Amino acid sequence: MSGEREVATDGGALPETLTYEGWCDGLKNGRLFGQACRECGHVGGTPKAACPHCGSRGLETVSLPTTGEVYTETTVNVPPAGVEERGYQVVIVAVGDARVMARLEGEHVDIGEEVRLAGYVSDEGGAPAPLFEPV
Amino acid sequence: MVRASVVGAGMTKFGVHATPLQELFGEAAMAAFDDAGVGPGDVDALHFGNAMGGQTENDTHLAPKVASHVGIAGVPAQRYEDACATSATAFKNAVEAVESGRHDVVLAGGVERCTPQVGLDTPEMTRIFASASHRQYEQPTGITFPGVFALFTKRHMYEHGTTEEHLAHVAVKNHANGTRNEKAHFGKHVDVEDALDGPVIADPFRLMDCCPFSDGASAVLVVSDEYADSFDAPVDVAGVGHATDVVPMADKATPHVTQAARDAAGQAYEQADTTADAMGFAEVHDCFTGAEILASEALGLVPDGEGGPWAAEGRTAMEGEIPINSSGGLKAKGHPIGATGTGQIVELTEQIRGDAGAHQLAGVERGVAHNLGGDAATTVVTVMEART
Repeated sequence: MSGEREVATDGGALPETLTYEGWCDGLKNGRLFGQACRECGHVGGTPKAACPHCGSRGLETVSLPTTGEVYTETTVNVPPAGVEERGYQVVIVAVGDARVMARLEGEHVDIGEEVRLAGYVSDEGGAPAPLFEPV
Repeated sequence: MVRASVVGAGMTKFGVHATPLQELFGEAAMAAFDDAGVGPGDVDALHFGNAMGGQTENDTHLAPKVASHVGIAGVPAQRYEDACATSATAFKNAVEAVESGRHDVVLAGGVERCTPQVGLDTPEMTRIFASASHRQYEQPTGITFPGVFALFTKRHMYEHGTTEEHLAHVAVKNHANGTRNEKAHFGKHVDVEDALDGPVIADPFRLMDCCPFSDGASAVLVVSDEYADSFDAPVDVAGVGHATDVVPMADKATPHVTQAARDAAGQAYEQADTTADAMGFAEVHDCFTGAEILASEALGLVPDGEGGPWAAEGRTAMEGEIPINSSGGLKAKGHPIGATGTGQIVELTEQIRGDAGAHQLAGVERGVAHNLGGDAATTVVTVMEART
């Protein structure tokens, strides 16, 4: 994958250890937090206690770019119970060296197109998911 | 290397059953007992699979319940849950239990009911299936399981030029195979145009690209290599590979290669001292047509990127170079989640014995089964072969 990641430069703005709570707080404030492994360099888009690729506990919280490229996508026409709408697009977006699964709003996008973080959607229990839109 | 042998195999028809779980499992288990010529008193342990009974039927702690129903109460009985790979992991542990010498005879199997018989409609069942997606980082997007495999398949299409027509050919083939299998949920003669006309579930998947919700049970009796010769028709388990991958799927290194399947297949072939080229046939986890294409490549049966064209050219049909899902697969045979993995073992056993009836393949002595769970983050690959 291509792209650059922003490493924490703003001190206290990034949680030292990224948890679900911190990831949600970031998302609700327009940021995507991930983790970079100090051992193998892997960058992931969701919090773990250890690197999923090498097992190192040396994970640094990073702020991921909020624009990225559609890695893959689908349009869900038969939703699960609890989701009222149908025909919505779910995407995996490459944001720098990480990827995140997200909902898309706006015009349909294809693989390779550029999208940017537009906020978040919440499920019926209030759990947020990143929301992207075409650039 | 012979790791264990299957000496008895049984399954219900996959389809719609009003029967409670223990009775459905009992039908498969009794068929396996009769096939092996053993009684419940000969069984040392139960490795049992059921993925969703707690969610679908308010029914948990099922291992001793079904053990009680089939006359083996008292033996160590445990339930496995690994999403759609549930009974394959139960089977793997049964193989290890006899291989290690801990037990002589182990019953492995599973049962599930997924049809509206359990009182749940499609949106409710779609939500329960989606529970295998990551609770925090996937489910809130509104992703479904057709959606998960659509995400894999769309990337495969982008990388390799796989088309919706290729996908349709998988559905047509497996439905045709299902017409010859009396245990199959579905089976009908459809053409590619029919498949391409269906409503879109999660693009690129239309209705015909998706396996059904099914009810059913399957069971096999597993014994050690040393003990196998005292039975009439043992079929050897030469290798069982089991690997996992990162969840959520966005964090997988290259999602559409289904690395866990490649790792599990490598383990199974190595244990069996064989290669993909030596497989006479395969049963793969075609929960969606795209999943069969990914699996055929991950198992090394088809070159990477060629899964679609091979299906379209008939090279994976019953009379093709490498028959895939001659049973009809999940697509037509059906997919009662916790029964699917050992259902594939029943199919391998019957094909290698030459007992598969109307869908019997000619002269197959070695086959491979591929059963995945969730977003393919659990995959179990089993190589079975005729006992020599």
